[in-house]
This record gives sequence, C-alpha cells and structure tokens, in this order.
Amino acid sequence: MALSGIDASWELKIAVEETGPEADPITLRVTGDIHIGGVILQLVDKMEIKKNWSDHGLWWDQKRCWVLKTNWTLDKYGIQADAKLVFVSQHKAIRLQLPNLKTVKVKACFSSPVFRSVIGICKILNLRHPEELSLLRPVEDPNQKKRRKEKDLEPEEVVDMESFATPRGIQSQGYFHPNGAHYMRDTPEGEAAYQILAISQPSVAPELIAKMYRPSSLIDKAQIHSRMSRHRGLVSHTELARFQNVTIRPLTTNLTVPLLSPLRQYDVVRINQLYEQSRWAVLLEEIECTEEEMMMFAALQYHINKCSLSGEAEEVHKSSEFDEVEAALSTLEVNLEGSNPNDVLDSITSIPELRDNLKLFRPKKLTLKAYKQYWFIFKEMTISCYKNQEVFGEPIQQMNLKGCEVAPDVNIAAQKFCIKLLIPAPEGMNEVILRCENEDQYAKWMAACRLAAKSKTMADSSYSSEVQNIRSFLRLQNANPSSQLASDTNAEDINTKSLVSFRYQKKYKIKQLTPRILEAYQNVAQLSLTETKMKFIQAWQSLPEFGLSYFVVRFKGQRKDEVLGIAPNRLIRIDLGVGDMVKMWRFNTMRQWNVNWDIRQVAIEFDENINIAFSCVTADCKIVHEYIGGYIFLSTRGKEHSETLNEELFHKLTGGHEAL
Amino acid sequence: MESGGGNASDDIDAMFSDLLGEMDLLTQSLGVDTIPPESAKLNQDSEFKLSIGFMDVNESLNALEDTDLDALMADLMQDINATEQVCNAKALAASSQAFSDSEFWNSTKTPDFPEFYSEPPASPRRYTELQSLDLPPPPPDVTLPPPPPLEPPEPLTKEEQEARAKADKIKLALEKLKEAKVKKLVVKVLMNDSSSKTLMVDERQTVREILDNLFEKSHCDCSVDWCLYEKNPELQIERFLEDHENLVETLSHWTRDSENTLLFVERKEKYAVFTNPQNFYIAKNKAEGKDMKEKNKGALLEECFCGTSVIVPELEGALCVKEDGKKSWKRRYFLLRASGIYYVPKGKTKTSRDLVCFIQFENVNIYYGMNYKAKYKAPTDHCFILKHPQIQKDSQYVKYLCCDDPWALQQWVTGIRIGKYNKTLYDNYKVAVQKAGLASRWANLSNVEPTKSSISAAPQPNGHPGQLQQALNPVSSAFPQTCKQEEKRTYNADTNYPPPPAHLVCQEPMRGEVEELPPPPPPSFEPSPPPFLPPQMPAEHSRPKPGPPPPPTRHFPSATSAAPPPTLIKRKNSGASNEPKPSVRFVDLPAPPPDPEHFPEPPPDFLPPPPPCFNSNSGGPPPPPPPPPPPPSNPTINAVKRPLVPRRSDNTGITSNVRPGGGGSSDKPDLMSDLMKVLQKKRAALNE
Repeated sequence: MALSGIDASWELKIAVEETGPEADPITLRVTGDIHIGGVILQLVDKMEIKKNWSDHGLWWDQKRCWVLKTNWTLDKYGIQADAKLVFVSQHKAIRLQLPNLKTVKVKACFSSPVFRSVIGICKILNLRHPEELSLLRPVEDPNQKKRRKEKDLEPEEVVDMESFATPRGIQSQGYFHPNGAHYMRDTPEGEAAYQILAISQPSVAPELIAKMYRPSSLIDKAQIHSRMSRHRGLVSHTELARFQNVTIRPLTTNLTVPLLSPLRQYDVVRINQLYEQSRWAVLLEEIECTEEEMMMFAALQYHINKCSLSGEAEEVHKSSEFDEVEAALSTLEVNLEGSNPNDVLDSITSIPELRDNLKLFRPKKLTLKAYKQYWFIFKEMTISCYKNQEVFGEPIQQMNLKGCEVAPDVNIAAQKFCIKLLIPAPEGMNEVILRCENEDQYAKWMAACRLAAKSKTMADSSYSSEVQNIRSFLRLQNANPSSQLASDTNAEDINTKSLVSFRYQKKYKIKQLTPRILEAYQNVAQLSLTETKMKFIQAWQSLPEFGLSYFVVRFKGQRKDEVLGIAPNRLIRIDLGVGDMVKMWRFNTMRQWNVNWDIRQVAIEFDENINIAFSCVTADCKIVHEYIGGYIFLSTRGKEHSETLNEELFHKLTGGHEAL
Repeated sequence: MESGGGNASDDIDAMFSDLLGEMDLLTQSLGVDTIPPESAKLNQDSEFKLSIGFMDVNESLNALEDTDLDALMADLMQDINATEQVCNAKALAASSQAFSDSEFWNSTKTPDFPEFYSEPPASPRRYTELQSLDLPPPPPDVTLPPPPPLEPPEPLTKEEQEARAKADKIKLALEKLKEAKVKKLVVKVLMNDSSSKTLMVDERQTVREILDNLFEKSHCDCSVDWCLYEKNPELQIERFLEDHENLVETLSHWTRDSENTLLFVERKEKYAVFTNPQNFYIAKNKAEGKDMKEKNKGALLEECFCGTSVIVPELEGALCVKEDGKKSWKRRYFLLRASGIYYVPKGKTKTSRDLVCFIQFENVNIYYGMNYKAKYKAPTDHCFILKHPQIQKDSQYVKYLCCDDPWALQQWVTGIRIGKYNKTLYDNYKVAVQKAGLASRWANLSNVEPTKSSISAAPQPNGHPGQLQQALNPVSSAFPQTCKQEEKRTYNADTNYPPPPAHLVCQEPMRGEVEELPPPPPPSFEPSPPPFLPPQMPAEHSRPKPGPPPPPTRHFPSATSAAPPPTLIKRKNSGASNEPKPSVRFVDLPAPPPDPEHFPEPPPDFLPPPPPCFNSNSGGPPPPPPPPPPPPSNPTINAVKRPLVPRRSDNTGITSNVRPGGGGSSDKPDLMSDLMKVLQKKRAALNE
C-alpha cells in the first residue's frame, strides 16, 4: 500500500454490467490525471472479453451521472477511490407504450437528454417532428396500481423492435425508401411491426374502455403532466426497472400534419399514431366534446376500422387515383367518339332506375293518415310516385331529392325500414317518409336517396358501396347476433358502444346509438382511410379545449389554488372551482419569462407591463417552463416546415438552468 | 310610337347584321378547331346569351336533321314574337317596380322527362331546339334586356341562309356543347347605382370568376371587398356569396317568380376577419377592438388558418332566437363551436357535455335579416338567419337569431362563416387579394390612355386631372380606399366625356353622399333618385359644382350611375347635334354589358337593367331641358370622346357604338344592349 502513496496511484473499482451484479468489480490502478478514455481502455484489457464495447460508458452511481468525456481526467471529474462506477451500455431497450396503447420494445439512449433519446426513438419508428413528442412516465399512484395489476393478468403483447437499428442514411427528416415504402417493410418482422404502427387497431370492448383511467376533473388532468420527463437523462441502469414502461406522448400542439398527398405515404405511421392519440383522448374523455361531435367521432372510427380491416389500408389511395385516371380516360374516349349521338343517348338512358312499391307517409300536424302504397320510380335524382304500376301520364307526386336531408328510421326488430326525407322547397322543408318492405329494398333506396341528396345519381360509382355500407350497418343494428344474418365478415362485428366514450355508453342503448352514428356516418362514408384519419385529427383539434395542458398553480399574492392552462398559443387562468376562464394571455404578446429556481416561481412579463408570477402545485415548475419554452420553440419553426431541427435553440428555450 | 318605330327598325337592322357577324365568328371558330375547342365554343355561345340544354342532345340533333331549317326558323320567329310581347309587357311592368327583377331563366330542358316540366306549354320542343341552336334570339332566356321587336323578315331570311350554310357546323358545335353538359343562365346583376349588367353564367363558374368578369366590365377598384350579394325581399334577408360558391347553384334555388336580386357591391364585412383578425380572435367586445400591427395580424392569421385545422373564434353569448315558426323571441345562451351552434339548456352549465346542438352548418347558409324589428318584432335590428338555401319563404325551418348590437352580429356571422367554410374562406381571401393586386395594376395600365386625354382636355376645377394621375399610380390592392378613389376618378372622367360635366357634377355629389353614408347596402334603391333628378337638374346645378372637384362618389358604381348622363347626352345630341342621329347616341349608351373595359359602359348598364331607370330615361328625353352648362369641360368632352371610342374598338372591336350596324364583330353583350336600345326607344316613344 505504501507503493500507492509513492506513485500517487490508487485503486478504482468498476462494476461491469455484463458480469452481473453479484460479480466482483474490476479493480484498476489509476492516477488522478489519467483520462477517462485511458481508464476504459485498461478496463477492457483487463476483462479479456471479446466484445464491441463502443456503446458502453461509465455511470457514476453516487452522483447519478454519466462519465462520458473521454478526454477529461479523473481529477477533473472529481472521481476518487470511493466512487462507485459502473460500466454499462448506453443504449437499452425500453418498453414504450405508443398512443395506440400498443407496447413496443425499442432501444433508447440512456446517456443523453430525453430530447435526444426521443429523436432517436422517432428515427427508429420513422416519425417526423420529434420535437412534438416527449416521454411520459407511467402512472404510479396506488389506485392505478390496482388497475394495472388487473390488467397485467392479461399478458400484454409487446412488439419487439429492439433489433431495429436506425437504417443508415436516415436523416432527421426521416428515411425514405427508394420506392416510397417504409424501411421496416423490407423484412418480415419489420412488416409485422409496421402493421402495428401504421394500421389503426380495432376497437376495444366497451367494458374495457369503462375500466380505463379517465381523468374526471381538472385536477386529474393536471396530474398527468407531473409525469412528463424531458430533460433529465433517461435513467441509470439501476432505475431501469422503474422506468421500463414509458409512454411516448405528443405535446398536443401545432402538430404539423402534412396535407400534401405525396408526403402522406411517409407519414402513415405518424398520422396513425396521431389518430390513435386523438381517438383515445376522445374515448377516455381527456377532452370533452358534445354529443353531436361524439357521434361524428364514432362514425369516423367506424369507417376507419372498416377500412383498416378490409385491408384497403393505404392502397386505397393509390387505387382511387388510378380509378380517376381510368375514368378520365374513358370519358375522354366517349368525348372523342361523341359524334355518334347514340352514345350520348346510351349514357343518358343507362342511368339505373329503381322501381318499387313503397309506402308513403307525410307527417303533418293533426293528421293521422296511415302509410299509403304507391308505385315509385327513382330516376336520376327524382322520385316519382304513381298510383300503380301502369304508369300513365303525370305522376301523383314528384320529389327532387337534390340537397335534401336524409335520415334513417329503422327498427329491425319491428321490421320497420323507413327513410325520412326533408326535401327543401321555397316554402320550407317537405317532410316525407318512405317505408320499405325489407332490408334489401331499404338499402337500395336509402343509398339512392343519399347520393341524390349530394347531387349524384345511381350511375355514380359509389352507389354499390353505399348499398353495402347500409347493409352492413343494418347488420350491426341487428340486436340478435344469432340471427341467420350472422356476419360473414367479422369486420362488421363492431359494437357501436365501443366507439363512444363511457358517458355515452351509459346514456344510450345500442339501439339508440347505432342510428345516430349511421346518420353521421353517411357524411364520411366516401372518404379514404387516410382522409378519414385526418378528418378525425382535425375535428379533435377543433375542439375548444384542444391542446390545453393543465397545471394547478398558485398565483403570487393569492391564497387559493387556481388552474393554469397552457395552450399552444396562449396561457389561460382558470377558476378551479367553476372551471371558467378568468383571464387569457397570448404568447405573442409575451416579452420574457423567468424562473426563479430557488423559490420555484415562474414570472412572465407581457406587453403593456402586464406581469404575472405563480408557483406550481402539481408539477415541477420546470415542466411548466418546458411547456412554455416548447411551444415557443414550435412557433419559431420555419413557416416552410423545414425539416432541420434547431436543437440548440430547443435546449435554450426549454432547458432552464440545466441548459446553461 | 311611330318615330320610335322608325328608329327601332334601323336598330334592328343593325342588330341583325351584328348577329350575322357573330354567326360568322362562331362558325369560323368551329371550322378551325373542331375537336379541342369545347371551351372555346362554350364561351362563344355564352356570348350569345343563350343557354344550352344538354339532355336534349339527341332530340335537337334529330330535329335538325329531320326538320327543314326553314320550318325551324319560322318556329323560331313565332316564339320570338310571342316572347317579345311578353317581354315588353314585362319590361313595362318592371319599370314600375322599384326592384327590377333579376330573373334568370334556366333554359335547360330534359326532354327525357317532358312530363315533369310544367313549363312553356307551347311547343316545348321547339324551345329546346332553339336553345340548342344557339341562335342568339332566344329572348325567352334573356331577362330584361329582352327581345326587341323582331319584325323584319328580311334579316331573318339572311340569317336563315347563313344558318343553313352552317347548319352542319352548328350541329357539330351542338354536340360538343351537349357533351359538356353545361348549364347556363343569364343573370342580371344590379350595380351599386341604378344600373345593372347582364351576364351569362355557366354552371361551372364560381363567384370568383364572375367577380373577375364584373371587374372587367365595370371599372371598379377590384378591391377584395367587392362581392355578389343576394337579396331576398320576401324574407328581408341578404348575404354575400362566398367566392368559391357556384352562382348557378345559388340561383337555381330561386323561384321562377322570385323577386330576389343579385347585387355587385362592396362589403367590408366580407373579409373583415382577414383585414382585422384581432377583432374576431382577441377582442372580446367592441371596446377591446384595437388596431394591431400588420406583422402581428399576419401571425395571428397564420395561427388561426394555416394549421392543420382552422381555429373557429371562441364565441358565446346570449342571443334571442325565434324558431319552429313561433312568433316569440326567446333568449338563450349560445356557443359557437367548429361543429355547429350550441346552446345551454336551462339550469345547465356550459360544459361540452351539457350543450344542446342548435344547428350544424352543413345544410344551411347564413343571411343577414334586415329590419326585423318591424317585420318580426325582433328585439333589435341586428339579426341573422340560418336556413337551407332552397327555402325562399318564411317557414318553421328558418332559424332567426337576434344579437344585441352590430358588433355581436358581425362576430357571429363571421364566426359561423369560418365554421362553415373553414380554410376555404382564407383561400378565397388570398385569391381576392391577388386579383385585386393584379387588377389594379391592370386597370392602371388600361387607364393610361384615357387618363392622359382627359387630363389634357380637362383642366377642370373638378380636379379630375389630378385625380386621374393619381389613378395612374400603381395602387396596391392592399389599400382598397385608394384604389376605389382611383377607380372612381377614372370613371368620372369617362362619364365626363359623353355628358356635360356639369351634369355629372350635379348628380355625383348627391350620389356620393348617399353612398358614403351607408356604403354599399342599398345600391339598388339608390338609383331611383337620379331618375327624378333630371327635371330638377337646373336647380341643383349650383350645388353640384362644389361637389365635383373630388369626385365625391365613392364607388365606381356611382360612376355607373352615370345613368343620368345618358339622358343628358341625348339632349345634348339633339341640341348640340354632335351626331345627327339620336338613335346612334342611344346605341352608345345601351351597349353596356359588352364593353368590358371602359366608359361607354356606364351608360349602357344603367339603361338596360333597372326599369325605373328606364322610366327616367324615357321620361328624361321628352321634357328635355337640355342641361345647358357644360362649362369648362365642354372642350374636354370632345377631346375625351375620341379617345374613348378608339378604346372601345380596341377592346371589344365594337364600332357599333358609333354605328349600330357596323360592328359585325361585336359580341353578345352588344346584341343584348342593342335589344335594349330598341326596347327603350319603343318605350320612350310610347311615353311621348
């Protein structure tokens, strides 16, 4: 030991992850001026394990930090003989819960700031705009634990993406396969993972939705954000166990969703994840919506499920384009040959017609007239009705359905298939009800009515799919699953209750719900899969509460807690008791904001000498700071949505004192 | 009557030669491009103001083949004569109305369902054929400017021959047209003054295109505030059509006997949300409405309209509502959301889950309700309604809402428009700005010539010259005001030319006043004053002079109000005998719709459209107290005139101004205006 005193060297013990926690640490003889790089070199030599150690680094357990600067000396770091160092891999697998509630295992970097790790994860998942995302620690309060246990009983499916390395050549703007496909799809495992990421998941049983955690108050909503982690290095290996479950969660803000169709292909995963996030936000009542809005969301979900399951997937897009070209070509042909008048004649007369016996009823005040049977002819956009099949002379009545409102009035159990028409006329709306004999007839006439309302005839290519849609929806409504109609396609096995949030599950019976969803559905039935998802996202973004993150705060000089809502463009002060907005400040009138890290207070100055200051109750003030900084960063992004990320600025805006 | 008749026959001759010229044009174009030119042809026929039926392709084709062209022509004649009478009657009747009807006729026929058409009982078939033939004469289709007494068989025969010779080509054209299946309407648009313009609109055209069209035809400043404005006197409602809307569709919702009118006016409200977004997105009440830096406005717009989804202004407040056909107004607390309008039911909170949907926007349009205090006993006059566009009368399906003040009304109407149209609204605005920029530059260019001449010629006290020069300066659309003024000026200059400036002066001040107060609203009514003015002219003379300097008239349309000038001209003519034939003069005036570009327009416009004007005109001439003093501007007049004429011919190739018969190449508008002239003359004669 005397020797050590002489040459000023001392023993440094380093544990190695690979040898297991029980194994003795490896002892190195070092001096204070030796570089970290030298230490690692010695260590590797001594271990005599052949391996690629390049991803490994030293973790200093007491100080909870990484010792990564290889050109620094031990002295510079202040490492002495009592330091517990661990030699571990910097990249480890984490279990990441995606917005669609699927869990994937991905490699994430533990040694860099969260933001960096998120960028890395996004590269693997091939998502653009990592700056909009962050990681969220799983819920840990006792209530949740119970739930979690229950849930854990069902083995959770984890998609292993650990082996996916970032393909070479991936730039920050994402990697585009030469033929436009996602890089993962090159391998079979990749394809499977891709399906999980890019294709929306079927609906969950309504009971499950009911069981899931729903924030019921503003305070609950405020809690979520206390779990957000942004800046700290992910975790040490020792904490790994605790942080194995991480949710990736967009800051729901200026999500730049590209609208250009060429870009969409690359954004399939992103759009799907956004859709999933918005869907769960709506279903779990994280964001409130009205009944009408809920019905629309339900209809969109129904349509998305249907498209996804029927395998149309993204091919829809291509094929529809193809169809258009085809159609254009054929019309062109017709045009060119147009000199033959018979062609024209044909094209006119070839519009299909419907002829049937239906019952007509015009609801009017104080009349109790029953349904009366007539002979109806549906041609182009007009329904004519005659006394009987001998169509002589003028029809008894004629209805032009263009621009009319069509509503179903169906009760399968009672074998009631009615079409309610509100036909606009200069004097007001004429209400007419057509009663069909059976499902089949109903589907045909209903589809024709809907198309006519949108100024299309039955010659339109969408007619047959419309008929199909109506049929499948009728099947949905069929309360008795054992009926002979039992769905041949499992796609139709959707419980409409699973499309709405718990509140509406309670409020309505399936019987009431289905027709309402059907009604909303007719407006979206013709959209392609991606369009529908986009529409869902847009509708979600249009909700008044969209993008608001809540924090319970106490304003300077106030005695009671209040809620601060942070939206992408403004701050809102909300009365905790009533939930009313008290005051609003917009970010673009903000001059500066400061955080006093000692007293944990955020102070903001706005134009016209408006100053506010508050301390945070439910979350660290750093998180509030990160939110504000993050939104301001997002607003500085280039208008042209340039893809290069200004990381430095991001850290400056969100890092607080740690960034300095 | 007789004297009028003489003139009329002259005119008719001229007209027919015009017509023949047009036929030539048509056929030429046909010959040149047989295949591609669908659009070209369409345009052409639009020039004829004809509407084309599509469905009747085969029918009419067959008809053409089977029937003798002679017979066809004869039929045509009959129809024309018959309709002519009707039209005359109508025109007379109309002239007594304050509202001239902007009726339009949908000429599309579907022979396939003859039963469905309760239309012209007489020879529906012939009808269709006519229309499909594109022959200019189908006056039935044309609205006001209707059918001049077509009498002389001679021109017809000519026509006939031509027609025969070209029957094949026409047939071809017809086929093309039918393939295109384009529906067309003739539409009368009331300008800001008493005048109006008649347009051919095809069903594919958006309001934007029509506005562009009107910009060309009227020399307005093309500012973004110009819009087509629909008025329904029955419900006392009005609204501006959004630029992306399809005009034909809107019009097809009107009833046949509708008194609805279509106006071309400026409405600041149209794009107020883009010029002052802070008033809608930030300020919560009028007091808070402040100005904002342009840069911040831009940022705000970007934020609200350029994201993935458009932000609908957060709007809530108590409104009075009258619905379900009830008579009483109920006060409720309403909230606007992107998905519709909601209200808070009694005893509930305004959280989303409690809201009750009042209406969603898909199937309704929004309109201003005018004078509802009187009509429906509304609490205030700041009302708006929501209804299906097809509903034209009071009904339980119309939702009436009443705001406390105009500010709230503007907030709601704009908010609902944003909710309904979303980003389209912003896109419209951007296009409008672009167009305004282009147009103003363009206008400046085209104005150059005339301006110069007028400048040199008119060193009046009016200050016209100076103003004109200003006009020359490229004014960016961003400053509508300047643009407007500029336009006005040019206009004045133009108007100056024909009539004695003095008159202009007189009328202008008045108009200016009227218009400036309530900017664009009652344009259609305004016209009425001028008609009565003429007699009083002398008395007012003194007044006008002070006014003239800075052409007080705000709106170019006012310039159009040059309506009075025409009469003046007439008198002048007779008096000054610049040109021997009064009829010729007349021609000048009426020619309105055709000359897209310049001066001549004002007069014509004024003439054809509003019947009231007619009266005034016709009335004017008879008592002709030739407004004497063309004071300093007299020289100007002449000088100006010349430049004008050339211009016209440049643009339109119409010499017909001077000589009705000369302009073989004149386009449809001329034809129409010619018709108008004839009619007018007749009327004038009658009055006499």
